[in-house]
Amino acid sequence: MALETELSTYRSKLPELHDQQGKFALIHGNDLVGTFAAYEDALAEGYKQFGLKPFLVQKIEVIEQVQFVSRLLDPCRT
Amino acid sequence: MPHLTIQIATGGPILDVRIGVSQARAAALKNANQAVPNPIQIRGLIDTGASCTCVDPAVLSALGLAPTGVIPMLTPSTGQQAHHANVYDISLVLVHPNLTLTHQNIPVAEAQLAIQGIQALIGPDVLKLCLLVYDGQSGACTLAF
Repeated sequence: MALETELSTYRSKLPELHDQQGKFALIHGNDLVGTFAAYEDALAEGYKQFGLKPFLVQKIEVIEQVQFVSRLLDPCRT
Repeated sequence: MPHLTIQIATGGPILDVRIGVSQARAAALKNANQAVPNPIQIRGLIDTGASCTCVDPAVLSALGLAPTGVIPMLTPSTGQQAHHANVYDISLVLVHPNLTLTHQNIPVAEAQLAIQGIQALIGPDVLKLCLLVYDGQSGACTLAF
């Protein structure tokens, strides 16, 4: 799965982020870089700090919202 | 209000959209002295049944994108167990002769769609800025923005 390290970091930091529900976390490797009110701001900071290296922008949700696509029959598995 | 009238094809209301790298990624590419890929015009299905906008992996690959997110996703083939789909940041333009609706930085999920003759599902994150009228009797759909 892509961004496995970053996703693991996010999940480990989630208990600290309960009061920031709805914001966007920027994560690089094992580091939580910061939280941002808008997706665009987290994304811009990610590219500013890390350029084209991998980073994760994750919406902070205590209960992770599952997306659904009824049209899709053959998903891309990461 | 500018609007597009789309004939409803067998597969549903399909329109042309232009997909490119996000504004933020374009800046990073320029900083790295790398070329910014030209946007690609593709066919997108207006899908009010999807909870997010999705793009076919061939399009994402052609733009040289790397994922910046991961989301759990349920589809008819996943059953009750969600799979994790890569999320990419892109720019998306709804093409109109006089005006365009542009999202400079929007997250989209990767989804195999080409087999259905489309390359994107236009979901509610894009449609929330539009007025959508589905006229089944005349076989047309109007999208205003």
